[in-house]
Amino acid sequence: MWVRFVLGLLMTVVCLGIAGRRAYFLYRVGKTFQPLEAERRVDPGSAVRAEVAEVAFQRKLLRWTVPGAAHFLVFWGFMVLLFTIVEAFIGLVKPDFQIPIVGNFAWFGFFEDLFALLCVAALAVFTVLRIQQAPKNLGRRSRFFGSHIGPAWFVLFMIFNVVWTLLAYRGASINAQELHEPANADKMGFLHGAFASQWFASILPKTNVEFWETFFLLLSLAVLLGFTVFVTYSKHMHIFASIPNVAFARRPRALGALEPVYWQGTKVDFEDPGDDDVMGVGKIEDFTWKGLLDFATCTECGRCQSQCPAWNTDKPLSPKVLIMGLRDHSLAKAPYLLAAKNADGEVPEGGIPEAAAAEAARPLIGPEGDETAHVGEHGITGEGVIPFDMLWSCTTCGACVEQCPVDIEHVDHIVDMRRYQVLMESAFPEEAGIMLRNLEHAGDPWGLGASARLEWAETLDFELRVYEGDKIPDDVEYLYWVGCAGALDDTAKRTARAVATLLHEAGVEFMVLGEAESCTGDPARRMGHEFLFQMLAMQNVEVLNEAGAKRIVVTCAHCYNTLANEYPQVGGHYEVVHHTTLLARLVADKRLTPVQRVDAAVTYHDPCYLGRHNRIFAAPREVLGAIPGTRVQEMPRNREKSFCCGAGGARMWMDENLGERINQNRADEALATAPDVVAAACPFCITMLSDGVAQRQQEGTAAATVSVTDVSEVLLRSVRPDLVDSLSAS
Amino acid sequence: MKIVVLVKYVPEPTATWKFAPDLTVDRAGVEGRLSELDEYAVEQAAQLAEKGVASEVVFLTVGPAKASEGLRKALAIGGDKAVHVVDDAIHGSCALSTSLVLAKALEKEGFDLVLTGMASTDAELSVIPSMVADRLGINQATFAGELSVEGGAVTIRRDSDVASERITASLPAIVSVTDQTGEARYPAFKAIMGAKKKPITTWSLADLGVDAAAVGLGAASVRTIDVAPTPARTAGTIITDDGEGAAQLADFLAGRGFI
Ligand SMILES: Cc1cc2nc3c(=O)[nH]c(=O)nc-3n(C[C@H](O)[C@H](O)[C@H](O)COP(=O)(O)OP(=O)(O)OC[C@H]3O[C@@H](n4cnc5c(N)ncnc54)[C@H](O)[C@@H]3O)c2cc1C
Ligand code: SF4
Ligand code: SF4
Repeated sequence: MWVRFVLGLLMTVVCLGIAGRRAYFLYRVGKTFQPLEAERRVDPGSAVRAEVAEVAFQRKLLRWTVPGAAHFLVFWGFMVLLFTIVEAFIGLVKPDFQIPIVGNFAWFGFFEDLFALLCVAALAVFTVLRIQQAPKNLGRRSRFFGSHIGPAWFVLFMIFNVVWTLLAYRGASINAQELHEPANADKMGFLHGAFASQWFASILPKTNVEFWETFFLLLSLAVLLGFTVFVTYSKHMHIFASIPNVAFARRPRALGALEPVYWQGTKVDFEDPGDDDVMGVGKIEDFTWKGLLDFATCTECGRCQSQCPAWNTDKPLSPKVLIMGLRDHSLAKAPYLLAAKNADGEVPEGGIPEAAAAEAARPLIGPEGDETAHVGEHGITGEGVIPFDMLWSCTTCGACVEQCPVDIEHVDHIVDMRRYQVLMESAFPEEAGIMLRNLEHAGDPWGLGASARLEWAETLDFELRVYEGDKIPDDVEYLYWVGCAGALDDTAKRTARAVATLLHEAGVEFMVLGEAESCTGDPARRMGHEFLFQMLAMQNVEVLNEAGAKRIVVTCAHCYNTLANEYPQVGGHYEVVHHTTLLARLVADKRLTPVQRVDAAVTYHDPCYLGRHNRIFAAPREVLGAIPGTRVQEMPRNREKSFCCGAGGARMWMDENLGERINQNRADEALATAPDVVAAACPFCITMLSDGVAQRQQEGTAAATVSVTDVSEVLLRSVRPDLVDSLSAS
Repeated sequence: MKIVVLVKYVPEPTATWKFAPDLTVDRAGVEGRLSELDEYAVEQAAQLAEKGVASEVVFLTVGPAKASEGLRKALAIGGDKAVHVVDDAIHGSCALSTSLVLAKALEKEGFDLVLTGMASTDAELSVIPSMVADRLGINQATFAGELSVEGGAVTIRRDSDVASERITASLPAIVSVTDQTGEARYPAFKAIMGAKKKPITTWSLADLGVDAAAVGLGAASVRTIDVAPTPARTAGTIITDDGEGAAQLADFLAGRGFI
């Protein structure tokens, strides 16, 4: 008895000691990172709800049925195993211990064993999945490509070991109780129902039963404690880290609005920044400790990677590999971060291992054109921790954030790194500079200037009301925010005319800002140019507030997102509605009546900034569905899983010369549904998809009759077929 | 070596310009900017400073109070300080008097090399560099697509339709640069903030010893008689090819005397 107690205690103290030291080390590293943003408050209500939904009920994991269910079983298997583990630990000193009350019942033992076996079944599922989806077989298409494969197998193996050793211990315990002290046979009621443990009891030797009990008890504890230590050193950290990570995550989700720039926890004032303020993340420790927690929590599951438009078109960006790269760098640089610094803030020569010093000297973002940069099966190589092209390949589509079961905030991290590159280093893909200059000087990305902003309306067959500097009159129901594309891009002008015509037809009183409108700043912000975004946003908010704008209708998904979610950050609070929502309402209220049949198969593409970022999935489909004759079709990747068109994140304004073109990939997916019309609800999606469809039409692989257009234009074909021709510019 | 770069603050080309009753551009009513073509000169100066060829870079503008914004922009790209000649009497000056003010300011500031843009983006005369050179009696080398400074001389490449010339001029000299020299860098936020701390000196006509009567609208050698908006572009003609397209196109061009 003494021996097993001493051995058990020793193991526990040593292993928990090692794991605790590791946890303390990570805590100290976290302390060297930036404090949390002052506005990021953990609201206990929503945090608890998120913990219940995402941790307890595995909401996001279950979206992927098979692996989700398997993970659910492992999670709950472990939760139930906790009882068994408690029994085992106390069993060190009190072999006949049972958990009070429930321990009397056979069903409790049954329940424990059942979950243990379900857990093993789930492990079998994982094994099959891991073999099927091995990067060896699928290459880049595998979601595990770039993950640590060996450790992942080791984890599965260790979980299996934890389960069977615990069951074996219980089997040995049954033998010990029944054979050695038959008087106790009725005492541990739960063991009667523990069918798997009973089976172990039946196959274990019936001699030396006490020895075997001790042996399996110590073995199971050794396995469990060893696993715990391993976990704190591996990607399996998530079993502890996900709980705080979910609690501190941005709610409802880290999509929609971007956060302003923070330094030392407070918002940076761009009009009068502090001398030492750093804008964005230029070194790993410029992330907040929540950022580090994100990196530590990543399970390398690759759900994000599987959905990423950049990754799926052979670009050197996988959100998973990016997060892993940041984690590896954080840990490799840790000795530097923790080392004592001299008066100049430098670590004295030889003060830390050479490898850590070298890692500390590495730039966070690599230089453009770095030939050594590579993102592959074994992670990232190159001069920078994150290669230049990796950072700039992101469309901020949010598919990764949407998928991540542990609420990692990829987009925020990527934009924070872009912010430093743009604001502090002025390093970004050169061609995007044209867009930035145009925004600065002309107020729109094309550089056409305010004077061109009303040309789209010249062919309307009614008088458009244009804001002239006073308050917006009371009879105006909506201010129609046309957006730069709607006002200046030829294809999008059609949409602007269609929407205006429909609103007019429905008798909605609306007004446009005309020359007083300028870019919302979305492309600047997504590129990381927060300063320019703030300038444009403040200018627009000033105009809108002066005009007394209350309700705004928008045709661009990006404008929608910025006006609705980001302008409140700069004092602009409006009721913003997307035109598809308004049109759906007008149709439902019979203010618009689709009369003409439109016999067409319409495939709808969810714009990222309308769907994932703003959860508007139904309205555009309702509008299309209300048109007699239309067959609304879905692409395989739709709604939350919609695949980006390639224009977001200011990618619209950058060259795309790595891998396949994203818009082509999406256009091909749309074409595979044999549509007559590909409909979207964002001008940039429409441009991108039009290009992709036109490419295939030119190659002769797509019917020349397929058109790409906005939902509103399809509606107009039904409401006022006579006016459709007038949408084209004269 | 000291470089002075002449930079002009111009009305935003994409904005709608209005004219004041005296028929000058209403500069107060329109957004302004550092002339895009002058950014190339600023960039060249910044590069010469980075290479250690120039020891001091100064930006000089003649313009209204708001023109200091253009100087700040230049200072964000590079340079050490700026000079702003501002005086109500300068309003309405023609190219001749503008060059007089610039020449006087350059004399006062002192320089080895003067860099300018190839033309302003508003009046687009491209004459200021030559006029200034004449007034100061220094060498000029205009429309440089490339430039280097060595051994007290500046060498430029100047491309025309027929030839690519290399021209050397000994300092002091004035050089105007084209967009071939390379796009100006996009200043980082840090640099924009840093520019706010660089000194800008303001001089009036009196500081330069220029007689107010010699400049301004009254002294202008060119008088604007009338301004009228350019007629709106009329819609083009679209010929749909129904087999006769080529013939119709030929008729269209012939009808307008193009062929
Ligand atoms: C017919 C006509 C009538 C005009 N009438 C008026 C008028 O009534 N009122 C009025 O205000 N203007 C008037 N102007 C404009 C004015 O004369 C010119 O803007 C000025 O003389 C400079 O010429 P520019 O802009 O063509 O410079 P350019 O010769 O094209 O400029 C070349 C370079 O010189 C430098 N430079 C030019 N101007 C300056 C400056 N001010 N400061 C610093 N560097 C400079 C820049 O580096 C520039 O790139 C008129 C112009 C014309 C053609
Ligand atoms: S936001 Fe989209 S493009 Fe960017 S990393 Fe995530 S999934 Fe990839
Ligand atoms: S970031 Fe999230 S989704 Fe991506 S691999 Fe890590 S845990 Fe999975």
